[in-house]
Amino acid sequence: MSDVAKEKAARLLKKRTSVSSLSSHEVRAIGKTKDSISTVSYIDEPGHHDDNPRPTVQMENTYQLGPVKRFPVLTVNNILKDVLTSYLQEEKYEAELCRQMTKTISEVIKARVKDLMIPRYKIIVQINIGQLSNQNMRIGSRCLWDPGNDTFSSYAFKNSSLFAVASVYAVYFE
Amino acid sequence: MDDFNAGEETAFVVDEVSSIIKESVEGAIGGNAYQHSRVNQWTTNVVEQCLNQLTKLGKPFKYIVTCIIMQKNGAGLQTASSCFWDNTTDGSCTVRWENKSMYCIVSVFGLAI
Repeated sequence: MSDVAKEKAARLLKKRTSVSSLSSHEVRAIGKTKDSISTVSYIDEPGHHDDNPRPTVQMENTYQLGPVKRFPVLTVNNILKDVLTSYLQEEKYEAELCRQMTKTISEVIKARVKDLMIPRYKIIVQINIGQLSNQNMRIGSRCLWDPGNDTFSSYAFKNSSLFAVASVYAVYFE
Repeated sequence: MDDFNAGEETAFVVDEVSSIIKESVEGAIGGNAYQHSRVNQWTTNVVEQCLNQLTKLGKPFKYIVTCIIMQKNGAGLQTASSCFWDNTTDGSCTVRWENKSMYCIVSVFGLAI
């Protein structure tokens, strides 16, 4: 294989992996007010186009205005419940284990939701696992989207030493 | 071959988003110490301000903003996300902010329409 072809293959491969985690890219740690620090992390620089984009295929218009199949929130909720319970029921909080766990679980949930084969939906899975030690915390989210088609599902799990919150956002791709 | 000159204007620019997030967090929480009764208000404010600024960018995106505020008392927290989307147009940005008494983690996901 020529060098150019190899490079192209490597780039394509890189493009296909879309796993993200907080530690993927950590940049800068400067805070504005004193005593505060902030860190930014993100996946690959989006909007950055490679020199060799995949050939764009011109499809015929579908003239389809809405989703054929709506996102089944209840089914997804059951998946979340099922996955969280089966993975975390017996676990004790341990930083390293949970670090791995968040990644595994988010991947598993994404795969399970993808298996439902709901066309035209983009899926975002977010999972937080934390230690239970009398601290207070609040997780909130708000979305700018089309409430008619886009939706989310969320499930919170708790055992004696840890809690986990998993949220799946499904956004209709128009 | 296609020209992507228009890329900047319609793309998810992480730097832009991260500075929006930081400003929102600084604006909403600033130098305050953790106060149980105000956390609710803070989360709302952070998310609200972020979304407001994001909409002002006027880009063709749908946004999802999540905010986690946790009191610092030695407890650990792991968070991860996993997405099924178009890598070339969509993007995410997470900012972890902390002061002496709390952590604030804000994630923004931008999905191109």
